[in-house]
Amino acid sequence: MKKHLFVTALAVLFVSGPIFFPVGDALAAEPVIIGVPTSLYTPFGSYGLKAVELAVEEINAQGGVTVGDEKRPFKVVVADTRGGEPGTPVHDALMAYEKLITSEKPHAIVIGAFRSEVLIAAMDLVAKYKVPHLGTIAQTPRFQAQFKSDPAKYKYLFRVTTDALVDANYIAHTLDLLKTDYGLNKILYIYQDTLWAEAFAGLMRKHCGETGWTEVGYEPYAAGASDFSPAFSKAKENQAQVLAMVWDVPLGAGVFAKQYVAMKVPALLIGFIPPMGSPMAVKAVGPEVEYSITVEFPVGATLALAKLPKTGEFLDKFARKYGELPEPPAVNSSAYDAVFVLAQAIERAGSLDPDKLVTALEQTDYRGVSGRIRFDENHVMVFGETSPDETGVCVVFQWQKGSDGQLKRVPVYPAFLAEGPIQLPPWMKK
Amino acid sequence: MVATSVHRRKKRLDRGIKARTDTIFLIASWKDMLYLLLPRMLPVAILLVLPVLVKGYWGKVLVYACIYGLLALSWDFMAAGGLFSLGQALFFGLGAYLAGILNYYLHLPPVVTVPAATLGGGLLSAALLGSVVRLKGVYFAMITLMLPLLFKKVIETTGAFGGTHGLPSLTPFPSELLTAYLAVGGFLGSLFIFRRVINSDYGLVLRAIKDDDRAVMSGAINIYGRKIQAIFISGAVGSFAGALMTHYYQFLGMSVFALDYSILPVAAVALGGQGTFAGAAMGSLILVPLSESLRALGGLRIAIYCGILIVSIIGFPEGLFHYLARKYHQFERVVEVK
Amino acid sequence: MTLLIYGIINSVILALYALGFSLCYGISGIANFAHGAFYILSGFVAWNFMNAAGLPFYLAAVLAVAVTGLLGFLFYWALLLRIRGVPLAELIVTFAAGVGMLELLMWRGFYGMRYSLPLFVRGGVEIGPVAVDYQRLCVLTTGVVLVVLLWFFVHHTRIGLAFRAMAQNERTALSIGVESDWIGSLSLALGSALAAVAAMVVLPLGMMESAIGLEVLIYALAVAIVGGLESTVGMVAGSFIIGFGQVAVARYISAKWMIIAPLAAIVLVLVIKPSGLFGKFKELEERV
Repeated sequence: MKKHLFVTALAVLFVSGPIFFPVGDALAAEPVIIGVPTSLYTPFGSYGLKAVELAVEEINAQGGVTVGDEKRPFKVVVADTRGGEPGTPVHDALMAYEKLITSEKPHAIVIGAFRSEVLIAAMDLVAKYKVPHLGTIAQTPRFQAQFKSDPAKYKYLFRVTTDALVDANYIAHTLDLLKTDYGLNKILYIYQDTLWAEAFAGLMRKHCGETGWTEVGYEPYAAGASDFSPAFSKAKENQAQVLAMVWDVPLGAGVFAKQYVAMKVPALLIGFIPPMGSPMAVKAVGPEVEYSITVEFPVGATLALAKLPKTGEFLDKFARKYGELPEPPAVNSSAYDAVFVLAQAIERAGSLDPDKLVTALEQTDYRGVSGRIRFDENHVMVFGETSPDETGVCVVFQWQKGSDGQLKRVPVYPAFLAEGPIQLPPWMKK
Repeated sequence: MVATSVHRRKKRLDRGIKARTDTIFLIASWKDMLYLLLPRMLPVAILLVLPVLVKGYWGKVLVYACIYGLLALSWDFMAAGGLFSLGQALFFGLGAYLAGILNYYLHLPPVVTVPAATLGGGLLSAALLGSVVRLKGVYFAMITLMLPLLFKKVIETTGAFGGTHGLPSLTPFPSELLTAYLAVGGFLGSLFIFRRVINSDYGLVLRAIKDDDRAVMSGAINIYGRKIQAIFISGAVGSFAGALMTHYYQFLGMSVFALDYSILPVAAVALGGQGTFAGAAMGSLILVPLSESLRALGGLRIAIYCGILIVSIIGFPEGLFHYLARKYHQFERVVEVK
Repeated sequence: MTLLIYGIINSVILALYALGFSLCYGISGIANFAHGAFYILSGFVAWNFMNAAGLPFYLAAVLAVAVTGLLGFLFYWALLLRIRGVPLAELIVTFAAGVGMLELLMWRGFYGMRYSLPLFVRGGVEIGPVAVDYQRLCVLTTGVVLVVLLWFFVHHTRIGLAFRAMAQNERTALSIGVESDWIGSLSLALGSALAAVAAMVVLPLGMMESAIGLEVLIYALAVAIVGGLESTVGMVAGSFIIGFGQVAVARYISAKWMIIAPLAAIVLVLVIKPSGLFGKFKELEERV
């Protein structure tokens, strides 16, 4: 009897399922399935998914991808891992992964895990089911370490976005500019106490130690922190000229941005601070975002660059389809590129066999929105700071007041993308 | 004269086979035997056969259900002694970390780590909660809620044992089937033993502590000692679940202290009904597959899950098991109120 | 000086989080685990009033408080009525309702860094060497005013007295004509409205995101436990202990231990003094 009730309930749910999930158009040829298991309720996940769907739409408009001698359309299947939500057990996210892999049988996975912890744990699972996996969110250096431990086993995993250390190098070199151009030399670091941010801050610290900066503070904050007054007071007391900040949890980042403005810290803000980098920052944080400097990784996530037309094209298409621009922290240009990388690899391999696909993926050399995409021996996309014709690139920009009095984001580093010099706020000029 | 409307009520009668108590039965025929045995044996038989029948993803769901079932049972056991806990994640996490650490750093095989984690987890739980057994009611609940969160934050902050990234690539169990039977066996074993123990003299004392601890104290029984023993037992069961999960997924991370592991078992008990263990078992065998089958709904999954949970708890405040048992054992008919 | 000022401000924020929760528990004995969800829900309601209906912030804030209060009231009649007095069911139902609300908000796209409520007043003031923004001063005054108002309400109005009667002895209160369900639903309405007031003044400090709901709940629990669940004085003291503890830990040890301070405080307090620091009826049966 109890079983009966339960079965009825289940049956009702299964039947009502399709109502919630409209099934895509049935195309003639059997589709190539792209699985997207990610944390949907985060900017990373939701904008990444939109970018993937945009890319799929473009490819399908051309008739799809050529597998052997047959044109087949792409089809996207989604699973919510809830990995970005605090308190979700990793096991639960893995169940979502496994459910997606076993029931939808995707030929490849893009975007992938949100939290580094989930990615690391999912690596064994992906290796077990042999599904090529083009991750575009988790940036932990632990990925390479784990990969190196058994390359033959983990060969199905690729990363089509930056490593946390790539962005850190960009910021470090922007700091060099500040030092040579304006003679700033007192720095205080604030970072979110997680592994990737620690690696990021550590790299900045090391670089600045070598180039003669004076460190007035190195402050890790727990990821759930919602008050930064101790660090700001310290910065004021010690007359820090630059605040270097690394943070990606929305709550803390928002409080940080607003509190920085409120406490009138006379220091230049630089680093990885999504709410400050958002196109909506003027509205969400306030006009005081002026002069703050943020890194965007890779290029094309939210900011159209004059010297890299592909970013503008991509963002235009995005805005046309969805009626809004993506916001950071987003890696949508990577997600968009990943689909094309996958499509080309499938065409090169001429088959959907995972091992052949992996070999083809390893030979990737594609000019995408985020620059030139190639993989190194650890299956990680190569980034550099010299040219988008060589590697993938990032960009550092500053909020500046344009000639029309409007605040806008101006690329300042690297030189081949810069549209203007870094400006120093008037209250810092002596 | 005002016409009086006819009032009716439901009259409940125990079936003839049941002689007014829950434990003494009058058995007359095979039919009576079946009447008693079927609801007990059938679920057990189904559970024992299932691991062979379902494989892959749904096999995982079965293991998952048994693991939550273990936590729910351990919750119910503590609750029987008046210890209302909101922190089964503590037991789960301790077991998981013990097993994971032993395996990752000392390379011990699961044959050693699982029993060691079970015992060690029980002892650690008893030691940790031993100092607060004087607390009652909501205060005990709150501290148990906070402890796993505290552990999680400490691991996150200090970066100990893999920190936020966890320890990957632990030794797996030799086969899926073995894992499934370990989970099912542990689950059924705990269910059986708990049901026995709670009706023995030992269980009687525990239940008495819940009802009136002063009276038990005046009987010269050390209630705090008994409570600590109860914590040890349910801690060991919870730790066993944690150790099992760790080796099953070959991964250990701080999310083993997540709130889900504290709340879901309690939800299972609330759904199934408190105090009989069978209710707890039934609740978790319903909730986990339900949550998994809702995955098809994508983003709304958890919201709908919560909705179903709320509706069924409001619908059956006493618990589904108690409701079904009553329906099974009683006739009902509508009679006129005179 | 910084320590003092920001310690006070942080403590008041914590007190605001906990006020509604502990009031509701104190009166009706319902631990409302959906408290955090009500908090963030009110922010969402206010945002919608502002951006969809185009109302000015003040009006939107007042409406959001009213709406949230009403929701709390309905919450009692719709969900809690049947299971009142079964702590297990109360707990799971309120918790599940809270999680459900948060998930619905997320489903509606309420995450990320798009949403924030505007500040009441921009800018700030220097108190000695310390810069404080006006918004934080607003938080401070709101906190103080609320506590004082509540004290008057509970001690000098009819409903307030009925509340206290319920808290002290439900049966006696029933026998002198206090309607239990009515008071219970009012207490839940008041608790949710207070959560909404807290949200209106605290949320403008940062961004709004559904995940904050859980955080608020944990802090509310922490404060309530350290201070003892029934007393307002205890609740205020509890929030000051945790608030100052956090700022001091951040300043003198390391900021990354900030989150651990409140949790450790709870464990310590409960081990040393099980009824909370200011629990009223502590030696009676409920606690020890």
